[in-house]
Amino acid sequence: MGITLVKKNSNEIIGYKQEIESIQKAITDFESGQKLDIAIISEPFAGRSTLVNAIEEMTAHKITKRSFSSIVRNKEELMFPERPKRIVVIDNSHFFYLRTIGGFNVLEEFLKLVASSNNLFITTWNIYSWNYLDEVINIDQFFPIQLKLPKFTTSEIKELILSRYREDELKFLDDVKSENKRPVNLFKYPVTIKPLKKTINIPFLKINLDRLKVHLSRKEEKKKAEDIIFEMINRVSNGNPGVAKVIWEKSLEYPTIKPSYVQEFSFKITLDYSESFILYIILSMESINREELVEITGESKVDNILYRLSQQGLIIVDQGYYKIKPEALKSLVEYLKKTGVMW
Amino acid sequence: MVVMVDTNLVDVPLKTVNFGTILSSILIILLAYLLTRIITYILIRFSERVGEHRITVKMVVPLLKFAIYGIALYYILGFVISLSSSQLIAFSGLLGAAIGFGLKDLFADVIGGLIIIFEKPYQIGDKVKIGEYYGEVSDIGIRSTRLITPDDNLVSVPNYLIFTQAVASANAGSPEMMVVIDLFMDPDSDAELAMRILKEAVVTSKYVYISKKRPFTVLLEDYPFYRRIRAKAYVYDLRYEFEFKSEVTRRTWKEFSKKGITAPQVNVMSEKTMS
Repeated sequence: MGITLVKKNSNEIIGYKQEIESIQKAITDFESGQKLDIAIISEPFAGRSTLVNAIEEMTAHKITKRSFSSIVRNKEELMFPERPKRIVVIDNSHFFYLRTIGGFNVLEEFLKLVASSNNLFITTWNIYSWNYLDEVINIDQFFPIQLKLPKFTTSEIKELILSRYREDELKFLDDVKSENKRPVNLFKYPVTIKPLKKTINIPFLKINLDRLKVHLSRKEEKKKAEDIIFEMINRVSNGNPGVAKVIWEKSLEYPTIKPSYVQEFSFKITLDYSESFILYIILSMESINREELVEITGESKVDNILYRLSQQGLIIVDQGYYKIKPEALKSLVEYLKKTGVMW
Repeated sequence: MVVMVDTNLVDVPLKTVNFGTILSSILIILLAYLLTRIITYILIRFSERVGEHRITVKMVVPLLKFAIYGIALYYILGFVISLSSSQLIAFSGLLGAAIGFGLKDLFADVIGGLIIIFEKPYQIGDKVKIGEYYGEVSDIGIRSTRLITPDDNLVSVPNYLIFTQAVASANAGSPEMMVVIDLFMDPDSDAELAMRILKEAVVTSKYVYISKKRPFTVLLEDYPFYRRIRAKAYVYDLRYEFEFKSEVTRRTWKEFSKKGITAPQVNVMSEKTMS
């Protein structure tokens, strides 16, 4: 589930500099007597786990780390086999609840532990689970420091991806047609009138946002193929480093990459309310099996719904666990916000 | 005796209204009707795609209807029949008489429609109670407001009722709506546990909407032979009002039966209870 944000052949993490500084400051404050528990919150694939791994490496002798990859049902699982160190890192804390009656018991126990313990807790959460828990149980009150991981900039994405290759290993070619370089293009959209059995072409203007930005910033002459490609990847991935990596891998025809290779991944999502709800649960839990989905939704048609979601290219199944397809993340988040299933 | 007759007024219908003008007028009304239908269709379809602004978009529909029909009427009177100012006065007199004799209800409906649009006691998409009818406002027309009841009946409520009846809007233009769910339990059952279960059933429902502005609450009230637990929470889309109620009730009772929480018992007056 985690993605690596670490440079190849080095331990240096790319991005999240401010967040690392905030965590280091909280650790220093804790050592001088002030306990301010931390929640690191992000979208799936944004690199939460890599961030806490980097923190663990920086302060290895002080930290006890637990990482969860599926829903925790038993309060005993919260117990540490041996006495934990003073700083406790819990990765993927959203696995402490299940959106069902009686599904908050483990989370409540965990929050009691956070409130009563002398240890400093550094926790990571899926942002959609966090938003839900914030409204339902005011979880923000337990974590005075909340770090919402920001989107990566184009240069950070470029650095992250290129750090895995040797210099001059890749060939960046500019194959953008002259018409695509225009900020606004005229297209014809065919519309079929069924009763008349006729197709008419309706002209419409298509705005090329990338080109428009370039046009407005008046930097066109300086743009290289490399920059255009990483700007496109950043836009399609919405600044999510994990999604950017997937898009890069799908676009690269080693060792060559051109702007036309970068796929747009526009999903035409049509779901009913129950399907949207199950998709939202998968998004907010990041990894969930069929039985847990049945328990949450009480739906007898879970299999049909999962099939429909897979068919539309929105989810994947990995060893019985359903997960969001990285490249569909941006489209499905926009869709779910519109439906009102996600708040 | 000499009788002075203003020929200009007498000639109004004979000179200006002929087959051609009637045909043109019908054509304009027909065009206005078609235009309102097309715009209504497009806006309703579009409103379903804009999520939280659904009701705002739908509210433009009656406004446009009034504007289109108003323009059509102005065009017919001003350009097709080409009424002069004195003819217009005569027409107004005729209209006044018509309103006085038989069309006063229709006129009141039109004025009621205008007040509904500008004062907004309710909007398209709202859940309202007008008189004895409860349902979702599907259309605000020139003459009447159409409601779709929970039983899927289409009820046309004359717009003039706005002057005589109290109107209750459950959501007042917002897509979210508060839903009240009442459950009744035996007074001997564990009330605290029951409240917790109902609360969890509400917050885990797929239809619920919770925010700082739209909080939820669970309340307990004691009655002589039973206890009532009441949940108040919002649905994101008021069209899911009944699904939300049903889903929460079903899941809560399922959990109640697992935990031994029972419904109130029938209290029959017997010798035992009397003694």
